[in-house]
Amino acid sequence: MSYEPQQSPVAPMATSRLWTAGASGGLAVIILLVLAVMQPAVAGWMVMGAVAVAFTTWFVNRRPVSGAAYAPLVSEIPAEATGDTGLMTDVFEASFDPMMIISGGEADDIAGRRIVLANAAARELFPVSAAGGLLVAVIREPTVLEAIDDALFTGEASRVDYISGGANERHWRAQVHPLPEREGFAYEGQVRPEALVLLTLKDETDLRRIERMRVDFLANASHELRTPLASLSGFIETLKGHAKDDPKARDRFLDIMATQADRMSRLVADLLSLSRIELNEHIAPDGRVDLSRATSDVLDAVSVLSRERQVTVEADLGIGGADVIGERDEIVQVVQNLVDNALKYSSAGGKIEVTIERGRTLDETFQSRMADSTRLSLVTPDREQGARYVVVTVRDHGPGMAREYLPRLTERFYRIEGQKSGERQGTGLGLAIVRHIVIRHRGALSVESAVGSGALFAAAFPLAPDRKSVATQPIEEIF
Amino acid sequence: MNQHTVKAYGDELNQLTAEVVRMGGLAEAQVADAIESVARRDVALARAVIERDLKLDTLHYDIEKKAIRLIALRQPVASDLRRTLGAIKLASDLERTGDLAKNIAKRALILAEGEPMQLLTRSIERMGRLVSNRLRDVLDAYTASEVERAMSVWQTDDEVDEHYNALFRELLTYMMGDPRTITACTHLLFMAKNLERIGDHATNIAETVHYEITGEDMMGERPRAVPAPGEDAAPTPTLTGNDAPSAD
Repeated sequence: MSYEPQQSPVAPMATSRLWTAGASGGLAVIILLVLAVMQPAVAGWMVMGAVAVAFTTWFVNRRPVSGAAYAPLVSEIPAEATGDTGLMTDVFEASFDPMMIISGGEADDIAGRRIVLANAAARELFPVSAAGGLLVAVIREPTVLEAIDDALFTGEASRVDYISGGANERHWRAQVHPLPEREGFAYEGQVRPEALVLLTLKDETDLRRIERMRVDFLANASHELRTPLASLSGFIETLKGHAKDDPKARDRFLDIMATQADRMSRLVADLLSLSRIELNEHIAPDGRVDLSRATSDVLDAVSVLSRERQVTVEADLGIGGADVIGERDEIVQVVQNLVDNALKYSSAGGKIEVTIERGRTLDETFQSRMADSTRLSLVTPDREQGARYVVVTVRDHGPGMAREYLPRLTERFYRIEGQKSGERQGTGLGLAIVRHIVIRHRGALSVESAVGSGALFAAAFPLAPDRKSVATQPIEEIF
Repeated sequence: MNQHTVKAYGDELNQLTAEVVRMGGLAEAQVADAIESVARRDVALARAVIERDLKLDTLHYDIEKKAIRLIALRQPVASDLRRTLGAIKLASDLERTGDLAKNIAKRALILAEGEPMQLLTRSIERMGRLVSNRLRDVLDAYTASEVERAMSVWQTDDEVDEHYNALFRELLTYMMGDPRTITACTHLLFMAKNLERIGDHATNIAETVHYEITGEDMMGERPRAVPAPGEDAAPTPTLTGNDAPSAD
């Protein structure tokens, strides 16, 4: 819990003056009475003194309860305030949006901006403890810092949109709202009234993505569908015109039209799946997939095609221990696309090698696997302490790629200049889809290649924790 | 961190670090905005980047002054001294980064006057993303005092070089194909070079962070795949038919 409800400073306590005044008065009366019994000579005086002390004590004790001095302070804080603090804290903690309360300190000292409270969502997003810490250690975005300064020292509320970078980009709307000054947020022993602001972050990634997806989809679809559509309408015109009564030409044209229509439908399917994956890119999947089993399923499915093209597929998959966090369909699609690619660029009699590597650290997944080649990382995940990965590698012995083409490989519709288009022409989206799936899974993707000796793609996915520890974790949390 | 008996001393050190982090945030935003202004042909944003560079210079000056004051008055030793010196080094690296971002923004203004060259600006954008991510990683490593993260940035510097080399060839091919694009392509080439330099500054910062935390220098040569074109004799890209496969 980030916020300890503090006892109200005006609540009567055991050590308060009320109590001590009564006690000391009582004590004095008792002493005087004892003295009166022991010294009968002055007993009258002692009894009179005891009565006087008792009266004074009663008078003093009576005052605070009905007196005017404490009344306004008490009435300022509603009676149920202590009960409500707990509820307020719970509400603050439960909010889905990350919220932080920031104190000001000196205006010209950036180290004075400290997070004094952060709710659960904020603590999940940033490396901040419930007790707070330096603001700049958490947010460096200058526009947000400026907005916070404005709110702290001129009392102006404002909104700022910003993008947090990293492997998974996110769009945030930061709302800054000044709070009334408050004493008691002691920072290292100094207690003074400090300006406070409430910073609320709203995740607007979904909205922005939908917007961008619509634009991208329209642009891509209209651009890429234009060519096959033009050729289709050309053939239709010919069929209506002078090829009307030529059955031989008609058959040939219809075949070409079927191929074009097929390509168009594949393109639309790929574009749709790319859009869907991009849209969900910032939401990490939470399923469990056995990567080696998924890979062997894909290899079974392509076995017909590979036999047809006389390409041998060598697989070294192993059994078990390759469970990764991910969505099965998407992971299958990654392996499928990589294997399809390898098949496409293998000539008859060629060989494709598929392997699974288990329990690799991030640095190990980046190691070079092909001699005398250029390696380039296409997706690098944010580094997490102690994260392990399962890597699937697909290697072909095709013509390979020159190093200067590697950085653009995952671009949509990117084609290397002068390449021969294969029999089964691709849509130009395969690797783009792979890239976005890997980003969504917080995985890594790299390519190695050299002209003349083929290419090797390695896709790494985060290893799922052991089932056992998953099962016991909630129990440990309860106790 | 160590506890200081003199309260104000620790405060001053923390303040210095916080100032550097703030400056880092500003430099990061400058780089990101400069790239954005190129990608979107946003003249207003480019102008804003150029204007904001002054702020980075002021911050650099402030940090240096504070660090010198701290050294003179408190005579820091060991990790405190490294922290103070690290602040000075980081501030000057970040200031240079800001200058390079400003230069990119200036070129973006010129590019915005000509025809759009989406294919090439997209390559710049991709390289820019990579470089900003590295800058972000290394600043995260600085704020969290994570040696490992700083090391990983240091070790992957060749990725930036690889992107730069690819972009260099791409631009050369373009200029050979259509001499009218030479002016624009030259500006893009300088932008790529600037981004590569920003990547170098990120690597420098990684070294400083490593030194600040461990007290030891990074050992060994920075991994580097090949000499970058433009520095050594660059092999001319082949324009003849290339049978390399495409990415699907």
